[in-house]
Amino acid sequence: MISRIAYRNGTRGLHRVSPAGNALVLTGFLVVVLASPGVLVKIGTLGLVLLLTTLSGEQVGTFLRNIRFVLVFALVLFIAQALSVREGTVLFSIGLPITDEGLLAGAQMALRFFVILSASFLFVLVTDPDRLAQSIVRLGIPYRYGFIFILALRFVPFFRQELRTVREAQRVRGVQISVRSLSGLRRAIRYTFVPVLVSGVMRVDSIAMSMKGRCFGLHPRRTITRKGRWGPMDWVAAALFVVLIGMTAVARRFAWL
Amino acid sequence: MSCTNNVKIAIEDLSVHYPDRVQPALHGLSETIEEGEVVAITGPSGCGKSTLCHALAGFIPEMLPAKVSGEIRIDGSSVWEDDPAHVATRIGLIQQDPDSQICTLNVWQEVAFGPENLCLRPEEITARVEELLTWVGISHLADRATTTLSGGEKQRVAIASILAMQPQVMLLDEPTANLDPQGAKAIFDLLGELREREGRTLVVVEHRLGPLLSLTPRLLVMDRGRIVLRRPTRRHEDLVALGLRAYWERLPASAQRREEMSLAVEEVSFGYNASPVIDRLSLRLSPGEILGVIGPNGGGKTTLLRLIAGLEVPKDGQVIRAKDLKLGFVFQHPHQQIFERTVRREFEIEGPITEEAVACTLREARLSGLVDVPPLSLSLGEQRRLTVATALRREPDVLLLDEPFIGQDRHNVAWTIAQVLAYRERGAVTVLVSHDIPLIASLCDRLLYLGEQAIEGDPEAVFSRLMAMGREAFTPDYWEGESA
Repeated sequence: MISRIAYRNGTRGLHRVSPAGNALVLTGFLVVVLASPGVLVKIGTLGLVLLLTTLSGEQVGTFLRNIRFVLVFALVLFIAQALSVREGTVLFSIGLPITDEGLLAGAQMALRFFVILSASFLFVLVTDPDRLAQSIVRLGIPYRYGFIFILALRFVPFFRQELRTVREAQRVRGVQISVRSLSGLRRAIRYTFVPVLVSGVMRVDSIAMSMKGRCFGLHPRRTITRKGRWGPMDWVAAALFVVLIGMTAVARRFAWL
Repeated sequence: MSCTNNVKIAIEDLSVHYPDRVQPALHGLSETIEEGEVVAITGPSGCGKSTLCHALAGFIPEMLPAKVSGEIRIDGSSVWEDDPAHVATRIGLIQQDPDSQICTLNVWQEVAFGPENLCLRPEEITARVEELLTWVGISHLADRATTTLSGGEKQRVAIASILAMQPQVMLLDEPTANLDPQGAKAIFDLLGELREREGRTLVVVEHRLGPLLSLTPRLLVMDRGRIVLRRPTRRHEDLVALGLRAYWERLPASAQRREEMSLAVEEVSFGYNASPVIDRLSLRLSPGEILGVIGPNGGGKTTLLRLIAGLEVPKDGQVIRAKDLKLGFVFQHPHQQIFERTVRREFEIEGPITEEAVACTLREARLSGLVDVPPLSLSLGEQRRLTVATALRREPDVLLLDEPFIGQDRHNVAWTIAQVLAYRERGAVTVLVSHDIPLIASLCDRLLYLGEQAIEGDPEAVFSRLMAMGREAFTPDYWEGESA
């Protein structure tokens, strides 16, 4: 699942925007959904996120399928909120009364959650992590910390693959794992996480050596060769940010939005 | 990109003792490597070859804790007094596993990583990266994510990444161990070019010495932490005279071989995402047979084993197994199949076993005295023997072995072969995936090449087809001078 929400090389839409520009767009989306009071503007914002996904060369259907677990969580939030809010007019009852305010509050919370997550995943999809780390360094953060981010991303596919291999090794050796009892849980940890952890530690050690062997940490600063430049598409991203902030102001002025 | 200031390396009475080991990894080792020299280091598993590389690169004891004595001097200055990052400006180490060397997420960025750490000007870095990507033949991969590369491509990226820093000495620790024969040939050709074009000092740890002979290396043979032989080597005959080239006699077919079917692969197709890996493959495996599977990285060799084991489901076709067929599968990396706290308990996973049976199996696997030792603390060779022994404990009808000879010395290889042959005599089928072409040529009754097309048949016939296709690296003749 996580692997499907990873950076993809592309040439369209937000792919042409620098990490700083994309961060600005993401910030705009977060401001709108967190600061605007109504549902309509959140639906509009979600539409905008999906439009940008299409313009960036990604298929909306695939994008939504890849984040379907977010949809499920959003639905759970909606139901929980609808069931727990008692204020407002009762519309119908399913053992518990469902009110108009409950449905509205559920929609607010589910949409807020879904827009934040989908905008964040779009950001991950279109932003080159190497360049993002460089942007972080250019903000004055020491480059060692910028690389922690890159290494974390480097390890995601590794751990996924190791976990899969270890589970297969269990299958071919006839090992049955059950977590229904404490002893079963202990066995699951020993048989699954220990081999994965051992692989992880071995890999961390060898990558640390490789980094040292490539003079990492030799100087307090390091060169950034491919600097993200502020280009025409970044001005478009900046304009979008202004539009989003404007939308927020209008939505707050007309609270029903 | 040329490099003119080569350095002299002086190793004086070097000993390295890891904290968890009884014997020292290196024991009073002394050697001098002159500038511009090509040195090939070989020796059995665990003899200290990789430890020597790590010590020369300054990783011991700074990053790999160990008790050290003696001295390593590079142009007169001690390695111990420098940070490894500083040593790396003069000595570049290319490790065995290409995956563990990659630090970034993009090929271009990976090659630029070292020069960026050296604080070179962006224009110079760009020029170096562009030139090296072209030179090592991967300019078409410049914008690819490093996670999507094949093993051979990753090793080329690793070589370009080290060359980009222009170190005066290049250390290569079994750089072709994980590569298919064609990929290995390309790396050896690249080293030859590096030698010819730049006259750079090369220190290469290798089991396969034959292809290195064109570089006229000085050969160092190590054993138990010492250099036991030093000799210039030019010809295959030199390797034969030194006992460094293993001849694997062509083994006769088993008397247990029968025509009945144990397992059949019928018109099987399989791919990952949209990329087809195996296309309408058909195979029939009979008791007492050893099938060798060779081919390029990514050609579908491991996928075939996974399909036979039922870990993958064919997209088309089917795998037919005889009723109650028992499978044993030995993975490429032994630590992924080890789960328990002691060697004894590792055997108990497969079911109850007596003390005597464990002791007997361990004795046969040359693991005596290790019954209560944590298996993950064993050496790679010991872990490999343990995983083969535990797989055989199930008494499988079909034994699947995925690259069991990587990083193994001649004794471990001979032990594994003995197990396979003993099992064959009991009527079991073995499917053996390996890049070790001479060995597979001698051991297997039948061969399957999985590459641009699938070729199956008698080993001689398959090798003839591969020669005709220009795939000479997949034939035993190319590896004529190889040692094991």
